[in-house]
Amino acid sequence: MYKLLLSWRYLRTRFIALASIVSVTLGVATLIVVNSVMSGFVFEMKTRLHGILSDVEIAAPLLGQISHPEVHMRIIRDVLGDDIQSMTGVVRSPAMVTFNVHGRQMTQQVMLLGIDDESFGQVTDFHPYLQNENKKEQFTFNLEESGYPDYVSNSGWKYRRAKAQQQKRIDLMQREQQAYYDSVAAEYLAVSPDRYQQAAYTQPVEATDGEERDIEYRPLPAQAPDFDKIHGGEDGLDVRDEPQADVITSRDGRKFRKFKPYDAHAQFREQPDPEDFFDPEEDQHTGIILGLAISKRKTLDEAGNKKDFYMVRPGDDVQLIFATVGRNAKPVSENCTLVDFYSSNMHEYDSSFAFVPIKELQKVRGMMDPLTGDATVSSIQIKMKPGADLDKARDALIAKFPPEKYPYDIHTWQDTQRPLLSAVNMELTILNLLLFMIIAVAGFGILATFFMIVVEKTKDIGVLKALGAPSSGVMSIFLGYGMSLGIVGTGAGIVLGLLFLRYINQIAEVVQIITGTEVFDPEIYYFSEIPTIVSPWMVLWVGLGAILIAVLASVLPALRAARLHPVEALRYE
Amino acid sequence: MSKLTTQDSVATLERPSDAIMWTRGLEKAYRKGSLSVPVLNGVDLEIEEGSFTAIIGQSGSGKSTLLHLLATLDAPNAGEVHFQNRRVDNLPAKEREKLRNEQFGLIFQFYHLLPELSTLENVLVPKMVQDGFFSYIRNKAEYKKRAMELLEMVGMDHRITHKPSELSGGEMQRTAIARALISDPSILLADEPTGNLDEENGAEVMETLDRLRQQENLTVVMVTHDNDLAQRADAVIHLAGGKVI
Repeated sequence: MYKLLLSWRYLRTRFIALASIVSVTLGVATLIVVNSVMSGFVFEMKTRLHGILSDVEIAAPLLGQISHPEVHMRIIRDVLGDDIQSMTGVVRSPAMVTFNVHGRQMTQQVMLLGIDDESFGQVTDFHPYLQNENKKEQFTFNLEESGYPDYVSNSGWKYRRAKAQQQKRIDLMQREQQAYYDSVAAEYLAVSPDRYQQAAYTQPVEATDGEERDIEYRPLPAQAPDFDKIHGGEDGLDVRDEPQADVITSRDGRKFRKFKPYDAHAQFREQPDPEDFFDPEEDQHTGIILGLAISKRKTLDEAGNKKDFYMVRPGDDVQLIFATVGRNAKPVSENCTLVDFYSSNMHEYDSSFAFVPIKELQKVRGMMDPLTGDATVSSIQIKMKPGADLDKARDALIAKFPPEKYPYDIHTWQDTQRPLLSAVNMELTILNLLLFMIIAVAGFGILATFFMIVVEKTKDIGVLKALGAPSSGVMSIFLGYGMSLGIVGTGAGIVLGLLFLRYINQIAEVVQIITGTEVFDPEIYYFSEIPTIVSPWMVLWVGLGAILIAVLASVLPALRAARLHPVEALRYE
Repeated sequence: MSKLTTQDSVATLERPSDAIMWTRGLEKAYRKGSLSVPVLNGVDLEIEEGSFTAIIGQSGSGKSTLLHLLATLDAPNAGEVHFQNRRVDNLPAKEREKLRNEQFGLIFQFYHLLPELSTLENVLVPKMVQDGFFSYIRNKAEYKKRAMELLEMVGMDHRITHKPSELSGGEMQRTAIARALISDPSILLADEPTGNLDEENGAEVMETLDRLRQQENLTVVMVTHDNDLAQRADAVIHLAGGKVI
């Protein structure tokens, strides 16, 4: 009883103990806060890193291909059995995406992924990161009428139509302007033959009779263009006719022959039906989804606050340039219509990925046999059932497709992000170690404080021993005192830590106001809010560890107290 | 009456018929580095049950050391201490602690109250030491009643919640007397109980001690250097040069 009573009284009356309590409290609170933030950070980061990466991937080398993907998938299913949840083929190609920003061409490098509308979303967490509400529900590569988020609310078909109409007006205006320039020029030439004379030039030409003479070329006098002729009207030239010599008659009446190149395919070429003409008001190119960061730039509003500017938005057309597959790879370009953004808040992905329908990409890159329709892919992505051992699955696939025979790179999503994940894990370990040092320092504080208290209490220890208290009892007083210091400090630390975590975002805002710099810049980190995960086990271990350190720190002083000789203790001045 | 005997040897260890406590050939020396300072050189004494014995001597005569040996707070280099028919100086630590707690009441010159505890709690400390946590909680009411009785006897019942720092020297010593009596000891060992008090307070403390001795039929051994105080005793043991003279 006296042990408890004295421990408690010492705790209440010795203010020097407060210093020890505060250091334990701060240590525990820091450890809990840092651990929770780091856990939250790692969890969020892993989720986002995993985002569009499948669990396991079999990838052909860059610009290479995997032929007969269905056969591969069947083999994979044989190897991995029931652990597989779903699979999909993906075409992957580095590409350049070009878009028009206020009349200037912007070109950026992207990683182009040809994905299957249906199966890609089953293999990866693709759909939740799309920005259009409709596409999250039902994914297509079509431009939507509505459902775009507020920050690009002026997007979709409405925006595209308005833009197309505006462009048509501009074109019309330009044509009218040109016609005006042409008529002015014609008038001028008609009244000023000298100028017309000066514009002439001569060139030696071999005539039909074999002689070579100088031919004088002059621009024709301006006249209204005959559109019927240009478009192959009644009197115009018909390109589909037999190859014929075009007769050029010079101004002095001599005739020259000029052959048109023979176009062997002319007869097979389908003549465009005016109905089929691409009308941007009603038609879209192949749909493309770009990472949000490709379009987004930071800018300042009039008040000087940061805001986002989108260089390209759903409804705009962009141009893709990428290489075909095979030995003689050639660059090809393809017009696409931006239909949505992808935003995982993972800058590495958001600034580099672009998604297009796999079939289109296979066609354009020459990955599809035009006769059979058989296509190749760049990689096969596999989603495993929850809890499946990814490393085991990867090893089984490597055994089935050994690198000696197949030029495939088989890896899990963690392998892809291994350096980052292991760096984060190491950081977490070292942080924990360092922070536990803080508590250890607090422990030494307790040690020093306790030695002082034991010296101060020497007489009391003598009295207790004289009154029959055993050495173990005296020791318990100080161990109990250390433990109560630990418990009080830890308890306060846990409360402080949890409160800090509860209001961590508000605290970050306050710090931001005071220091003027953003503590947790969502542009650099992956999150708009500081993520926290409080693990009850972590709190328990930190608490127990802190109490244990406090008790351990009080062992030496307690032993010293227990060993005091009662007579010497009573005599102590 | 206690008999004063000086003996050169400890050969005869037959128990004096009516002594509650007796010693034979007690020797004690303190070590200061390589130097051994002898304090007691063979002390034989007997203390009769119910008597009031004063041990007097000059400073450094070894009287406090003798009291510590009697109280089993320290062990003699040679010789024996007997209490109630058994040798106590060589008992295991646990038994000596039990003896001090239950059979001996100790009073010190500097009161030695625990500064963190109130008057009442200080009186209860021996009981707290004696009992385990639960048995103390169970018997607390009874102990408290007894403590209040004792505090009333020493005239401290009006100051039970005060801390020692709020008490005068006399009040502290009276509290210490109550503490010494809480276990109903067989013998009260007092080390200069008035040594740190002025005359008035000292007299008051002595009166209290006397009264209690008669009320409770206590055996009291008191160390003092004050001859006047020693006059009150039934027996006086003079100590000089580490021997009884």
